[in-house]
Amino acid sequence: MRRILLAFTFVVVALSAFADMFDRPAEVRLVVDSASAFTPKQLDALTAKLDSFEQATTVQIQIFTTTDLHGYDVVDFAQRLGEGWGVGQADKNNGIVIVYKPKTLFEDGEVTIQTGYGIESLIPDAVCKQIIDNEMIPCFKKGHIYMGIDRAVDVCISLTGGEYTAEKYMADIDRLYTIAVYIIIGLVAFPIVVVVIFLIVFLFCCRGYTASSNSSSGSSSGSSGSSSSRSSGSYRTTTHHHSSSHRSYGGGHFGGGGARGRW
Amino acid sequence: MKKKGCLIAVVAVVLIGIFSIVVWYIKTGNKIVRLDEGVAESWAQVENVYQRRADLIPNLVATVKGYAEHEKTALTDVVEARAKASSVNVNPEKLDSRSLQQFEEAQGNLSSALSRLLVVVERYPDLKANQNFSELQAQLEGTENRISVERRKFNEVAREYNTYIRQFPASIVANSRGFEKKAYFEAQAGSEKAPEVQF
Repeated sequence: MRRILLAFTFVVVALSAFADMFDRPAEVRLVVDSASAFTPKQLDALTAKLDSFEQATTVQIQIFTTTDLHGYDVVDFAQRLGEGWGVGQADKNNGIVIVYKPKTLFEDGEVTIQTGYGIESLIPDAVCKQIIDNEMIPCFKKGHIYMGIDRAVDVCISLTGGEYTAEKYMADIDRLYTIAVYIIIGLVAFPIVVVVIFLIVFLFCCRGYTASSNSSSGSSSGSSGSSSSRSSGSYRTTTHHHSSSHRSYGGGHFGGGGARGRW
Repeated sequence: MKKKGCLIAVVAVVLIGIFSIVVWYIKTGNKIVRLDEGVAESWAQVENVYQRRADLIPNLVATVKGYAEHEKTALTDVVEARAKASSVNVNPEKLDSRSLQQFEEAQGNLSSALSRLLVVVERYPDLKANQNFSELQAQLEGTENRISVERRKFNEVAREYNTYIRQFPASIVANSRGFEKKAYFEAQAGSEKAPEVQF
């Protein structure tokens, strides 16, 4: 009896110690490389890919590498991580979690892909299993960790990318609009600049070389130039702000769909 | 005159008191209803994932039959356990420990019949190489994992409900309106781990 009680308290203590691990972090890091499986360059490339995919589709793909699963089964770990962090958007549950644990001398390598409720129909369990068996494990066995994960990510992207075409379309429209604004500003600004230059030349030639007229015309051309550059700059910042305002875990839910692999 | 003023004041205080108690009663009752709905919703999810497993079985049995006809007992065990498990219906309004236990027992029988079948199947390499079968395996494994996730989520929601209705003073409202404690799923052996289906 005492032993059971002891074991129980141990479990409770252990669970409470690791409970915060699955709490939602303040900022989004779609690639968390605790096992240092990637080089800094690979980490950046993968993060950039996942970030831009999220921007286009709102689908969040979370990569998590770790050497220690804290006693959880890898599938359980990934599900709790996805649910706790809220990977994916709350209204679509469109998150994917990939957890990778490297092979060591004493333990098998383990990997899992867990799909949010909204992804289950796009990437069924059997497909997850195929991605793991055909794309990931062959690479992992050769030691190409990045390649294996990158390929799996590519498949996930191609399978989920079509889902939110409406939003993607709107994002594209948004981008087109920004480009159009740039062009219009350019078209408007170009004649103004030409006219101003013409005026300066005209003033220089006809009005003589008085210092006062020279400085005033110079400042006017400078102000018009800076205003056009500021407006184009503000467009860039607004679009940037637009994308950065989505930078949080959306609160997606996970029901345990997905598959696992071992090597 | 002074007496009358006092009386009015007392009546006002009493009325305000009664009014706030009524408001509190209604609010607490509504919260309990909301939590109760949450439990029912969670239960529906649990039934869903068990149903998902039941739906996979006919296909699984058909596939295995094609390769391993001699394993009649293992196959019929699964089919019978599935039929039994499907026949157990739990009233979501009344999730007491008895009905949950019956449900558990039937589903547990199906689980063990399934794992027996999958052990037997080990002897048939042709079957294991079958594409359809490996897909079913992956689906079955994912479904077992879904089951353990939804059980856990159910327990969390039920715990929240139970804690609320048993705490004073909400317990008064719960008792008067006949809200009862919900049962939990028992922790399965190694419930922290997803039941691993070994193939």
